[in-house]
Amino acid sequence: MAAEDLPSEFDVVILGTGLAESVVAAACSRVGQRVLHLDRNSYYAANWASFTFNGLLTWIQQHHEESQPEEVQDWSSLLEEGEELIYLSYSDSTSISNLQQTADSEGVEPTADLPRPSAIQGQSEASRKKISYAQLVKEGRQFNIDLVSKLMFSRGSLVDLLIKSNVSRYAEFKNVTRILTYRHGNVEQVPCSRADVFASRQLSVVEKRKLMRFLTSCLEETEEQQGEMNIVFSLFLCDQQLGDNLEHFLLHSIAMVTEDTPTEVGLASTRHFLRCLGRYGNTPFLFPVYGLGEIPQCFCRMSAVFGGVYCLRHSVRCLLVDKDNRCKAVIDSRGQRISCSHFVVDSSYVATEQKKVTTPTRFLSRAILITDASILPSNSGQQVSMVTVPPIAAGFPVVMMVELCSSTMTCLPGTYLVHLTCQSVGSAFDDLSPVVTKMFHTPETDDQETRPSVLWCLYFNMADGLDVEVEGHNLPSNVYLCSGPDGHLGHDHAIRQAQLIFQKILPEEDFCPPAPNPEDVLYDGESLLPTGGGGGDNSGWGEKGEETKENPQTEE
Amino acid sequence: MHGRVKIKSTAQQEEEKRKEREKKLKIYIAARDACFSKRKEGICDDEALQLTQQLLSSNPDFATLWNYRREILMHLEAVKDKDEVQKIYEAELSFLESCLKVNPKSYGSWHHRGWVSARLPQPDWARELSLCDRCLSLDDRNFHCWDYRRMVVKMSGVPVDQELGFTDHLIGSNFSNYSSWHYRSTLLPLLHPESPEPLSPCRKTPQTSPPPSPQTHSHRVCEEQLLKEYELVQNAFFTDPNDQSAWFYYRWLLGRAEREEMISCVYVSRDEERVAVAFSRPVNAQSVGLLLVLDGQPQRVEWRSVHPRFKHSPVWICDLPPGTISDITNEHNLTVHWTEKHTHRDCALYTGRTESYCRDSATDQELFRSELSVEKTSVLQSELQSCNQLQELEPLNKWCLLTIILLMRALDPLGYEKETLAHFQTLKEVDSMRSAYYSDLCSKFMIENTILKMEYAEVRVFSISDKNLTTLCHLDQLLLVTHINLSSNQLQRLPPQFAMLQCLEVLEADNNNIENLEGLFCLSKLEEINLKNNNISTLADLQPLASCPKIKRLDLRGNPVTQMAKIEAELAELLPSVTDILL
Repeated sequence: MAAEDLPSEFDVVILGTGLAESVVAAACSRVGQRVLHLDRNSYYAANWASFTFNGLLTWIQQHHEESQPEEVQDWSSLLEEGEELIYLSYSDSTSISNLQQTADSEGVEPTADLPRPSAIQGQSEASRKKISYAQLVKEGRQFNIDLVSKLMFSRGSLVDLLIKSNVSRYAEFKNVTRILTYRHGNVEQVPCSRADVFASRQLSVVEKRKLMRFLTSCLEETEEQQGEMNIVFSLFLCDQQLGDNLEHFLLHSIAMVTEDTPTEVGLASTRHFLRCLGRYGNTPFLFPVYGLGEIPQCFCRMSAVFGGVYCLRHSVRCLLVDKDNRCKAVIDSRGQRISCSHFVVDSSYVATEQKKVTTPTRFLSRAILITDASILPSNSGQQVSMVTVPPIAAGFPVVMMVELCSSTMTCLPGTYLVHLTCQSVGSAFDDLSPVVTKMFHTPETDDQETRPSVLWCLYFNMADGLDVEVEGHNLPSNVYLCSGPDGHLGHDHAIRQAQLIFQKILPEEDFCPPAPNPEDVLYDGESLLPTGGGGGDNSGWGEKGEETKENPQTEE
Repeated sequence: MHGRVKIKSTAQQEEEKRKEREKKLKIYIAARDACFSKRKEGICDDEALQLTQQLLSSNPDFATLWNYRREILMHLEAVKDKDEVQKIYEAELSFLESCLKVNPKSYGSWHHRGWVSARLPQPDWARELSLCDRCLSLDDRNFHCWDYRRMVVKMSGVPVDQELGFTDHLIGSNFSNYSSWHYRSTLLPLLHPESPEPLSPCRKTPQTSPPPSPQTHSHRVCEEQLLKEYELVQNAFFTDPNDQSAWFYYRWLLGRAEREEMISCVYVSRDEERVAVAFSRPVNAQSVGLLLVLDGQPQRVEWRSVHPRFKHSPVWICDLPPGTISDITNEHNLTVHWTEKHTHRDCALYTGRTESYCRDSATDQELFRSELSVEKTSVLQSELQSCNQLQELEPLNKWCLLTIILLMRALDPLGYEKETLAHFQTLKEVDSMRSAYYSDLCSKFMIENTILKMEYAEVRVFSISDKNLTTLCHLDQLLLVTHINLSSNQLQRLPPQFAMLQCLEVLEADNNNIENLEGLFCLSKLEEINLKNNNISTLADLQPLASCPKIKRLDLRGNPVTQMAKIEAELAELLPSVTDILL
């Protein structure tokens, strides 16, 4: 984009295009606030982003490079009387760490189209033609690899919001088709819906009845359950005399809690799972086609449609604070002073000393695998699987694994994209590589052809955004912090944050009311834009400036 | 607040919508009228085709237009060559697809599709089948589509196993689906027919009868497959015991043996010179070719049912010409032929005997076990075990309880009587909306048990007092009973079928709620009637008794009718034969 000056006045300036920030942007624009939405990266969605394979390689490279400390500029000329400066941090050096790429191409030049060593030894290799690293690079655009791995609960707050606000029209979704679990060294399907229970071959008819009865009783809060509230969930399950099979499924795959979770939480979690079943399919989860990175972008698009102004590769250097400890304006990376009434910022832009962090920052361990086969092959090839992996040994974390097939448009046909996530105990590699080694065929493991081979693999740690509060930091009162992604499977944390921030900014306004039907919108004379949209002329949808012209009417 | 998107008010929107509707209606009516007038003039042109298409695509349920369209198509078929016809019909099919999207359950569209598919010169059945797959995956209970699918399958000869696989698939995704289970029940006997095996002993027939008709064992499935089906359906009802579709399929699997058609009893009375014949099912004796041969001589007799209400009845009677068998020193041989079914039954009336009969008893026929199948006992036993297991987990599930009762009856009706009664009690409590149904069913089973007991004891006394009976059934089995005791039950009437008790001499029915005596009709041997403490309130209720010539003793104590003025005189007039009356 040409170095055109931005309008110098906005109601809300938002820095960072993560999920919470994007929802705030959409919500504010929707009710007529003038919104400026910036991101220092060249891509949307910050740590919520999806990348092509090549894009991800670039991202890795960027994180390996030392960030250049920026020379501190003197902005005093832009200061008005009584104002003070708060500098924001130039780059995000803390949220991502321990990057480790263990592609089986190690030592092989990325461009070299060499067959894998094992392919040369090849036993049953002929039947399963290996996809080389070079091919991955060549077909890299077919990948959409998420930095975070989450699923959408079909009755979770994100889905509700997408429906309520009509933002859902900007994306497509697929059902997660099955829930799996790793148990006794095998991957098993977890029967959770009525159809699954009926079809399950592992369960006896009596187990089927017990499971169905327990699940049905969970849907209602009974007095019997109330009486059991003071014991942990795993003991509560034990008391139900369900047997080992069912206890495992219920604890790890349906409630998705740990051994020491209180019964109340376990039951609530089970109930949530069950309430989500059957709304869109036989599992409680949805996954957005083209990856989770689509979701923040959908909200950005909604914001843009209602006049939000977008700039990527554009940041804010510092905040201007008046005597009342309110942020009056910001200075952007081009040195322009932009006044605003509210400032919303991704916590990674804020220096550590300004943040009030309660505990030592917690991290998530992530692994991203490209594999050549599903961990549980099935007749209907295209499965999207959610896999729960209980701790493989004492001291190891519970691992959530999502296996995506190519019909989700996140990976090359013939490959599977596998995301592993857990709370960090050690580094991502320490936490997750034992699971990967157990479940997959890696160069380090013995040749066991029954398991899928790992074609490429990345480990990294990401800061867990769960502990970051919206307020209460060493910051002006009208500055709100958005945490990065959290470790939960759903999106509730980010949506709750966005809603909280929106209520602080506009306590009287409705949060993301439904966008009107295109034919019901009234237009003033020649104006193509929704009337009086804040800073309409200049609004740029990142690289795709014309997007803003797409007012609801042109959409059919 | 500035910058807000302005939206039309509701009134504005409604006004616009109203106008829109009006406009549409005008167009619709104009097109409809044009169609009608064209049809009147017998025009079958492309314009008519287009007009009907326009109308039907917005309202696919307009049957007259489909008819008109068929007229046009038939006309085109006559004038165009084969390739063109093929094209026209193919276009018709894709038009129909759009209609089905408007209303997937439109009778007109589905019927028309069937019509077109059948006339298409080169039908693409695979495509039609995949259309059915798609429709049924969207709504697995769309019976229009099921019908069409059956037609497609029939026309194109889709292999049965493929269709069975399809039901597997549908049941796997949602087993609450009568259509799929039912389809299965039609496919399985084709794919896995029961191998013909020698008749089990329980089905032995009198040697004089011809062998049973071949359809006796049809619709049955071979045992190996049956066991698989039991497993499948158990998975369904253990998963959701409240889903009735699986239970009904289970009942079908457990089977329902068809009873062999035969004459089950012939009774001759010398005094009345009367013959009574009982059949295995209700028949109309006047039209089934019933032939009575007495001592080698075919007799011209007039058959009548036991009650004028019945045109079909399991029991028929006829009077022999006066004097034919009245001499007690003569012996007579009687044969009743059911010519239609090539079956007959003999009965000999020996010298010095006033009556005679020949029959198959209910115990011989294992009559009441046939409710549930000719299945092997071991199979039924293991099914009973599974159901008991489920009942332990779900003690209040009505489907499970009912199935257990049926299985118990199939296995050993007398041995399980106590458990059966207990289960009925639970059923009435958990499913109080149907308690009357359960009471009636329980009455039926109690009567069956009493019949069995009576026949084991080889007596002609039927006693079933104090069993909470609410209804009477199987009365055709009581043709030979001389003494019946129904006291202390909850009966409200003696139904017309009661007239089948042709040998009845004593009726005890004290302490019921009987208010209707319709069934006490022409019971020529009935002498004593005890109706103490019932609900007979008018003289008219007693009217049927006038047709029983031999009544001597009548106990009506505790009935409202006794409070009537001049009751004694009225009764004496109505029932002159009664000598002993208690009021």
